[in-house]
Amino acid sequence: MVRVLLKFSKEIVDQPITSQIILEKGIPINILSAHISQRGGEIIADIPSDQANKAIEAFREKGVTVDVSKLIEVDEKCFDCGACVSLCPVTAITFDKDFSVVFDENKCLGVTCSLCVDACPVRAIRLIG
Amino acid sequence: MLPEGIKLKEKRTDKGNRRSIAEINEKIKSGDAQILTAEEMKKLVESSGIEVAFKEVDIVTTGTFGAMCSSGAIINVGHADPPIKIQKAWINDVEVCHPGAAVDLYIGATIMSETRSFEYGGGHVIEDLIRGKEVELRATAYGTDCYPRTRLETTITKEDLNQFYLLNFRNCYQRYVCATNSRDEIIYTYMGKLLPRFRNATFSGAGELNPLMNDPDYETIGVGTRIFLGGAQGYVIGEGTQHEPGNRFGTIMVRGDCKKMSPEFIRGATYAKYGTTLYVGIGIPIPILNEDIAKKVAIRDEEIVTDIVDYGVPRRGRPKLGKVNYKELKSGTVTINDRSVKVSSLSSLKTARKIAETLKSWIENTTFYLTAPSEKLPTDTLFKPMKQTKEVSFVEGIVHAAVTCTEDEEIRTVAERIISRSVNHIVVVDNRGKLRGIVTSWDITRAVGQGNGKLADIIVRKVVTTTPDEPLEAASRKLAQHNISALPVINRDRKVLGIVTAEDISKLIGR
Repeated sequence: MVRVLLKFSKEIVDQPITSQIILEKGIPINILSAHISQRGGEIIADIPSDQANKAIEAFREKGVTVDVSKLIEVDEKCFDCGACVSLCPVTAITFDKDFSVVFDENKCLGVTCSLCVDACPVRAIRLIG
Repeated sequence: MLPEGIKLKEKRTDKGNRRSIAEINEKIKSGDAQILTAEEMKKLVESSGIEVAFKEVDIVTTGTFGAMCSSGAIINVGHADPPIKIQKAWINDVEVCHPGAAVDLYIGATIMSETRSFEYGGGHVIEDLIRGKEVELRATAYGTDCYPRTRLETTITKEDLNQFYLLNFRNCYQRYVCATNSRDEIIYTYMGKLLPRFRNATFSGAGELNPLMNDPDYETIGVGTRIFLGGAQGYVIGEGTQHEPGNRFGTIMVRGDCKKMSPEFIRGATYAKYGTTLYVGIGIPIPILNEDIAKKVAIRDEEIVTDIVDYGVPRRGRPKLGKVNYKELKSGTVTINDRSVKVSSLSSLKTARKIAETLKSWIENTTFYLTAPSEKLPTDTLFKPMKQTKEVSFVEGIVHAAVTCTEDEEIRTVAERIISRSVNHIVVVDNRGKLRGIVTSWDITRAVGQGNGKLADIIVRKVVTTTPDEPLEAASRKLAQHNISALPVINRDRKVLGIVTAEDISKLIGR
């Protein structure tokens, strides 16, 4: 699976782009979270790896900004306290056996969630996108 | 068979059923002392029994690394020329208090920057100074014959300070509660960010690694005990404030030389929308003087029990929702109201472990010797609530019956009720009296004006509520925060008990 962040500008947010691509290309796109208003929208979705390029191309053709880079960045300030762990709704943040805090970028919902960001006592978590 | 990873020294000369701190220090010097971390010791006791553990082990090292708000540092900045008797002072825009003579200052960890607010505070100033960073000192004074100066601005580093001592009046809580939140909204507390309706829980403390938990009767830890403090050697100088030994909520007061500390074990921190604090690393060596002490350091996480507490209720006596032990807390899930809830620590267990291991290596390398306490910590003090001379008002004091309706009523009927009962808020309930929503006279007026037909379409369903035991101050804070004028009063089952309005509260203040 490839996780993507789809950004819809206010000009195209009212168009059924995602469903069109699912129907036209026959790609099973799994929407994990979505924030949509009149000012624009953001969707986090999983696309099967073998069809990812095709889907991304289709989204870009319709004017959607597709971000496939990682969604979360944790810097060296992190000292493994765990204040973020219980807040994560998708278990992307967990404790390792030695109580190191581990971030799974593939599970992270990024900017559409961001529950952990302000809970970090040393501001070590940054969301991208 | 010894547990994996534990090696014991071969030649042991111990006889009898007790050993003294002086004897242990002799062994440290000759390289014969057997030191285990608290976690290693517990495994040894489980595999080989108390008797063997006592015979073989001289010292057990402990550790904890958590947010300890009652921390700060005393600094002496030396005299300026012409001299100043500092009245008010700031370092990097954080006000530092001036409790003594002319140039002694106390940097309180929780004091927040006047320009950067939550993002920077006294804890960060202490960390920056320990890191060797330059900070800005600003001071004002009224001026005296001997101290004429009234203003001062300069920059300083730790090298410029005469003394720079961490002086913490409450650290190292033996154990702490597990926090969760019953409210419908996220709350930001000193126990971290708590999601609505018990969606997460937090805890603090190292459990079986905590120093005081391994000496629960304070037989070896007392005034003068040498400890690991922030990466340097420090001392226990007494029991901490709010020390409550009877309930296993013991605390200590500590002091240590910041100039020798490491930022790995002293960190300024922010709890979002709560305030700034200081993470402090403390490790205490427990000398195994007799078998009884060996038995006490064998305590395991599952034996350390604490309460799950609802921080959604802003009262001194927050409701307790159940019991939990540290093994469950460290497992990542706890059960609250029969539901499995994610729980995580606020203190770093990984760093706590590292502290116990570092302290062990210091003793092995003969750079750290044990001290006998010159005075014991009290075992009988109580933690009393505040004496209050003025009554505080709660919602239950002004709650009155709410005018209600059900979802299936006509807008017209509800409008008539608003007029006949002369109210502005109608609480919508179901047939069991449970809260379904709220409509205001404004909503009704607009609906009538626009010829909107159905009540169900105009009901506000996301309702901010209060409970009878909420302080009026907290209730009026909600009104202001959400820019609303009334709060339905409900019980735990969301049954409507009445309503309080902004008008009720202002009447009370005007009284």
